[in-house]
Amino acid sequence: MKLRLNKTVATVASSALLLMAVPAFGLASTSGAAVKAKPTYTIGYEGPLSGGNQQLGLNMVFGVQLAINQANATKKLPFKLRIANYDDQGSGTISPAQAQAAVNNKSLVAVVGPAFSGATKGAEPYYSAAGVATVSPSATAAALAFGTNNNFMRVVAGDDVQGAADANFLVKTKGAKTLDVINDGSFYGAGLSAVVASSAKSAGASVTTYTYPETGSCGGTASTSQYTAAATQIVAGGADAVFYGGYYCDFGLLLGALNSAGYKGMIMSGDGSWTTALIAGTSPASAANNVYLSEAGGGNANLTGKLAQQYKSISHFSANGATYAAQSYDATNMIIQALKTMKRSANIKVLRPALVKQLHKITFKGVTGVIKFQGNGDLSRSSIVDFGQVQSGAINAVGHS
Amino acid sequence: MGAFGHYLSAHFATLRLEFWGLLVGGLATGFIYAMVAIGYTLVYGVLRLINFAHSEIFMAGGFASYFVMKAVIGSSVPSGIASVGLVVLGIVVGGAASAMMALLLERVAYRPLRKRNAPKLAYLISAIGASYFLFNLAGKEFGRYNLSMPAPYVNHTVFTIFGAPVQMYYLVVLLVGVIMFVSLDRIVATTKLGRSIRAVAQDAETASLMGVNIDRTIALTFIIGGVFGGAAGFLFGMGSGVVFTMGFTPALKAFTAAVLGGIGNLRGAVIGGLILGVAESFSVAFVQAAFIDVVAFAILLLILMFRPTGILGERLGRSA
Repeated sequence: MKLRLNKTVATVASSALLLMAVPAFGLASTSGAAVKAKPTYTIGYEGPLSGGNQQLGLNMVFGVQLAINQANATKKLPFKLRIANYDDQGSGTISPAQAQAAVNNKSLVAVVGPAFSGATKGAEPYYSAAGVATVSPSATAAALAFGTNNNFMRVVAGDDVQGAADANFLVKTKGAKTLDVINDGSFYGAGLSAVVASSAKSAGASVTTYTYPETGSCGGTASTSQYTAAATQIVAGGADAVFYGGYYCDFGLLLGALNSAGYKGMIMSGDGSWTTALIAGTSPASAANNVYLSEAGGGNANLTGKLAQQYKSISHFSANGATYAAQSYDATNMIIQALKTMKRSANIKVLRPALVKQLHKITFKGVTGVIKFQGNGDLSRSSIVDFGQVQSGAINAVGHS
Repeated sequence: MGAFGHYLSAHFATLRLEFWGLLVGGLATGFIYAMVAIGYTLVYGVLRLINFAHSEIFMAGGFASYFVMKAVIGSSVPSGIASVGLVVLGIVVGGAASAMMALLLERVAYRPLRKRNAPKLAYLISAIGASYFLFNLAGKEFGRYNLSMPAPYVNHTVFTIFGAPVQMYYLVVLLVGVIMFVSLDRIVATTKLGRSIRAVAQDAETASLMGVNIDRTIALTFIIGGVFGGAAGFLFGMGSGVVFTMGFTPALKAFTAAVLGGIGNLRGAVIGGLILGVAESFSVAFVQAAFIDVVAFAILLLILMFRPTGILGERLGRSA
């Protein structure tokens, strides 16, 4: 019998074909889900990448980059990582804009930083409102550890610890009976010098405090001629030791002035000055010799061995003397560890606060030691402050607290 | 009264100890301000124009001398005759670079406006625009951080005055300042160039009728201002290093000094600069360092209230 293509046959045949197509669509979508791409997460770095104190920020950003490169290279992570740089020049007035830019980055999960305490103070309200974890490798101002929302954490000791250690070093270890404490008017400098002054007083030294604001040559507005008068005052006062709470650019100018005025006592500064860029910025460079410095990293932490080589190959400067590079490396790896061990929502607005919780929960063993945060974001372990001394163009370790 | 008396006596005690040191330091700072003020006062006297880009002329001298010092000295420590030669080299290089920058500015930013009889506001905008362009260009090319200049001499204490050490740096600034100011004074008072500058300042049209080449005189005025600004840039750089924003504060202070001494008046610029430098130095001891600018501008206000034309009065201005 001849098959005649009538309407009935056509309808049945087309319906059958359509019905067969449905499972095919279904198969296509499930196999598509199986080869969906890994999500890319951005870890931000906020700090001074330009301006008078840029070297401090540059030291840290390459620590972050190193950790991200290593993590991506293992190819075993269930996500890909990227870095995003937010240059705040260490300023509390520029940092809010950078914080907003970071928060608006839809793939950003956490920030290593902000590096400077003043910048942290300006930026935290924005990070806090968005629930973004900020793990700072260097913001040491004591007052920062009491923010809202638990999203601020730091892998270094606060200035309450660093300042007390510095005062004890000068008064008890080195025997200074009179001390001039200088603050540069920044949020970090004012806090640190206040702690040093009060600790030194409790230890029995006679303390005079001065304020010399950051100068125009270093990102502030004061006149550099203030250091000439400052040196005259300090030499006339004849103190055994001078402590400078501030950053290396201005400290270098002060050192030059003190050298010219013939000051013969001990000079010390905190972690804001611990960088070889201090020596380069002091004129003459010999004026920086025998200056003491302190660092809140704990245990003389530096990237060493193979890590130091890898660091040098991406940064083009040495890991030795790159203050807080090790801390940045650890902070990044701790964020990566937290991301690995938690449930990652596809919604960034849920993932960010969940990451904050996870960072508070986990304990991480890094190159700087075991890191576990207290509720307020400070380190749980008791922290050691390292001391160094500048000698012939390098900073040599001379003990710890 | 008790508390205030205590404050005064405590500070006077400090002052006695530090007086000469602060004075010497203040004079050195003051000479640098005075050198930059010369540029403002000359250009104002001749053109009735406040050259806001003079801060970048100062910066140009600083950077030029920085690069030359770095190339010639490197990391060695010169002494003796070599030091003298290097200081002279620094002044010459700084002065030359700034003079070229000043000439460039005159050609590009001001002359076209002069040819078209533009209103005074146009000169102001042009100056500010040039200033922004130049220091941002410097920031882009040389980095936005402080560069420390290699020292052409060892900065030791040469002698002491009543117990206050006078360092090599202060001596250099004072010597250079005195030599340059005395020379300028003689040039303006006795030479033909000086006469033409004073003539153009008094009445440009009549001066041109009398045979004075206006364009050349104006160019030379900018050059002289540039030389002084560049020398100041080198001296400032020796003390504080060079950075792209180095012109901002010193130039503002220098302009204040020029007004203080009488704008358009060369000797007034020197006096204004010295007064300002010394006042700043003493206010660090009497008040806080953060209040230096408050004291400086308070002094300016006081003087202008009683002598609106400045301490020595306007001199090189036009009569009408």
